[in-house]
Amino acid sequence: MVLFILRRLLSIAFTFFVVSVIVFLMMHAVPGGPFDGYDMPVSKAVRDTLMAKLGLDQPLWVQYVNYMKGVLVFDFGYPYQAPGETVISLLANAWPPSLLLGGLGVLIGAPLGILLGMAAALRRNTWIDYFASALATLGLTIPVFVISMLLILIFAVWLNWLPASGWGKPERWILPIIAYAAIPIATYARYTRSAMLDTLNRPFVTALRAKGLSERRIIFQHVLRNSAIPMVAVFLPMFIGTATGSIFVEAMFRIPGLGSYFVSSIENRDYPLEMALVLMVTLMFCFAYLISDICYAWLNPRIRFGEQPK
Amino acid sequence: MNAMLKLVGAIALAAGLTAAPALAQTKLTVPGGSTTGTYMDYMKTVYARASGSELLQVPLTSFDNEYQLTPLAAESWTQSADGLTWTFKLRQGLVWSDGEPLTAEDYVFALQHAATSGYDFAWYWDFAGGIQNWKEVTEGKAGPETLGLKAVDDTTLEITSTGPKPYMPSVVSLWYPVPKHQFDKFGDDWSTNVANVVSSGPFTLKSWEKSNNTATLVKNETYTGPWQAQVDELTIDPTLGAPEVGMPAFLAGDAAFTYLNAGQIPVVKQRFPDAIRTNTVFATSYISFDLEAAPFNNADVRRAFYYAVNRDELTQTVLKDIAIPAHSILAPGYPGYSENVAKQAVFDPAKAKELMAKAGYPNGEGFPTIEIWFREEGGYNGAILPPMAQYLQAQFKDILGITMNIKVMPGKDWMEGMLARKNNIYIAPYEYDYLDPSNFYGIFYNGGRHSYHVPEFDKFVAEADSNPNWDERVTLYEQAEQVMIDQGMIVPLVHPIIMAAVSEDISGPGVTPNSQGFTPLDRIGNFLYSHISVK
Repeated sequence: MVLFILRRLLSIAFTFFVVSVIVFLMMHAVPGGPFDGYDMPVSKAVRDTLMAKLGLDQPLWVQYVNYMKGVLVFDFGYPYQAPGETVISLLANAWPPSLLLGGLGVLIGAPLGILLGMAAALRRNTWIDYFASALATLGLTIPVFVISMLLILIFAVWLNWLPASGWGKPERWILPIIAYAAIPIATYARYTRSAMLDTLNRPFVTALRAKGLSERRIIFQHVLRNSAIPMVAVFLPMFIGTATGSIFVEAMFRIPGLGSYFVSSIENRDYPLEMALVLMVTLMFCFAYLISDICYAWLNPRIRFGEQPK
Repeated sequence: MNAMLKLVGAIALAAGLTAAPALAQTKLTVPGGSTTGTYMDYMKTVYARASGSELLQVPLTSFDNEYQLTPLAAESWTQSADGLTWTFKLRQGLVWSDGEPLTAEDYVFALQHAATSGYDFAWYWDFAGGIQNWKEVTEGKAGPETLGLKAVDDTTLEITSTGPKPYMPSVVSLWYPVPKHQFDKFGDDWSTNVANVVSSGPFTLKSWEKSNNTATLVKNETYTGPWQAQVDELTIDPTLGAPEVGMPAFLAGDAAFTYLNAGQIPVVKQRFPDAIRTNTVFATSYISFDLEAAPFNNADVRRAFYYAVNRDELTQTVLKDIAIPAHSILAPGYPGYSENVAKQAVFDPAKAKELMAKAGYPNGEGFPTIEIWFREEGGYNGAILPPMAQYLQAQFKDILGITMNIKVMPGKDWMEGMLARKNNIYIAPYEYDYLDPSNFYGIFYNGGRHSYHVPEFDKFVAEADSNPNWDERVTLYEQAEQVMIDQGMIVPLVHPIIMAAVSEDISGPGVTPNSQGFTPLDRIGNFLYSHISVK
């Protein structure tokens, strides 16, 4: 196991390096720079001065090396679109709202989806199954900005129960959390139903029933555990994908989160921020998959990392 | 995605509207512009400025809702006999919100700092202000103290230009002071850290959410100048700028007004017409060319395009309610607008075909396939440009017999392409900076925005720009635009209009239509937010 983790850490380092090179090159290959795009052109002299000030007049490889030297000591530079603070402090300010709302969306949505999927699997081909399947399909197919709009219309405009949007007071969190939860609910409902049906049809379940174990014990102790592997595989990547913010949800609910920076950093050619965001997400996904793999072993002792099948 | 958002917005609106919404709060929350803002300093980064930065400081002059120039920090002004120097006299008793006196030195420092450390608006003070030595200073060839700016005493400010600028009082409507005493203490951090920001205008800064550029301002009790704040707290939230987001918030009473997209306009007009406000933004979308590259190095070809646009049909169909026809680079109502010029921009397919034939392309035969470039935009341009490009594509095919492809591109790529002349035809939008014809003609003058060099045009513009007599100036600008028409330098297409819905709970001249029927809910923020109150 230790060897496996070490190998994976090395592979993460390699992935991180490759992604950093590719993103750095692509970012600079896109036409235009941080001081283009205004209604009137910036004079060459002014642009040259500014580019020099930001080190953008250096050869690309020098810029890359300088940037990565900083990254090694957690210095991601200064964002062009938010001077006066570092990239790290910008992320520290913008991430909490995304983490809170997106994270809660997954943490609430995933158990609800599991319950829904379990109900659908255990009551297969009944109205419960049809309802759960329909809900899951809707959750996956309706774009999140439409869900957000509907939530605002129903709960803020028609019923006047909740604020339409904004940030600060906890009541403002409810609608975005529901919007964020839609996809986890739908995804988990489908995964759980499918995995449980698969497990329920296995011979060991019949054997357990023949041994006289209670249905509750069979479901919770054996079926659910054996069905959990695909759910574990989905959970962390989904958590990271959601907790780093959605530009749509954050725009619709006016949340001052991280989501918009993914777009604005590209639009504004904010190279330090763009790099930081990509590297951060890369690292998080790498570790998410590492942790998922470790959880596999815990859930299914038959899995032995690094061993060849006999 | 935009189209989808609009559709969803319109459907949601149609379903949701039952009555004109009432504000559930006494503090105002209004839509803003860009969701990214760098400095709370208008003079340093105009295009990337933080929300509300222009409301924190008091400019020398400003425009009211009738577009009349009004003295703000300046009490009066005079022009020297040679026309090169303007002297502005500041009001007595103006102070910063921390109690320090606001002096002419703060205005001088603002431009000195902008010339050496600012970037995106440096062109303005060269092109519009013509400030002596501006170019040399921005290029680092001279020190800021050599600029044609002088604080004669605490309340007397002198500005010297390279040529006579009869419209200088309009230009300085965008001249905001920078607190030198704060800059000396904190450097640029004076405008990035809320605790260091001091103001000279009707509002002070309470908070600034940088991730979406939302700023909350409160009434500045130390401001003694004209146009004082009528509300205690004003939140400018750029995320409300998109009608798809603004409208639900407006319906829920969270926003004092919202801009409307094309799908929302008919619904709001029908359900609560009294809430509707219309504004002309004094902007023009036009086609520009590479005048030196084939096939647009032939004036007949360019003029064929000029006559091949059915502006009335365009604005009555695909751009209904969001644009009006542009028959000149200047919009109706803009100073210097000329009917003599405008009446020439007619839809004349026969003449267009004749010109194409004369240029050697009868019915478009032999004409190369071209690609028109326009930039991705939000706001009113985002609604106008894509459908307009498709309309023009069809119309040019039908009338001129040519094939025109369309390329939409990020703003930075588009601007870089236009400056480097990487393509030969563009759709370009431009919105005024200051209310004078020189603003619009200047963008084609001596290179300008399009690398145009048309000596005859430049001659008329140069003469007009420096002539102190308004009537003579207008005549000269008319002659300049006649050159534009004769040479087919541009094809004016449309002037955008902005429609908004205003809550019944706010009132005042700021949200009341002016004598022309327009309600300027943007650009003249100094007037708007000092002339708006909660009922």
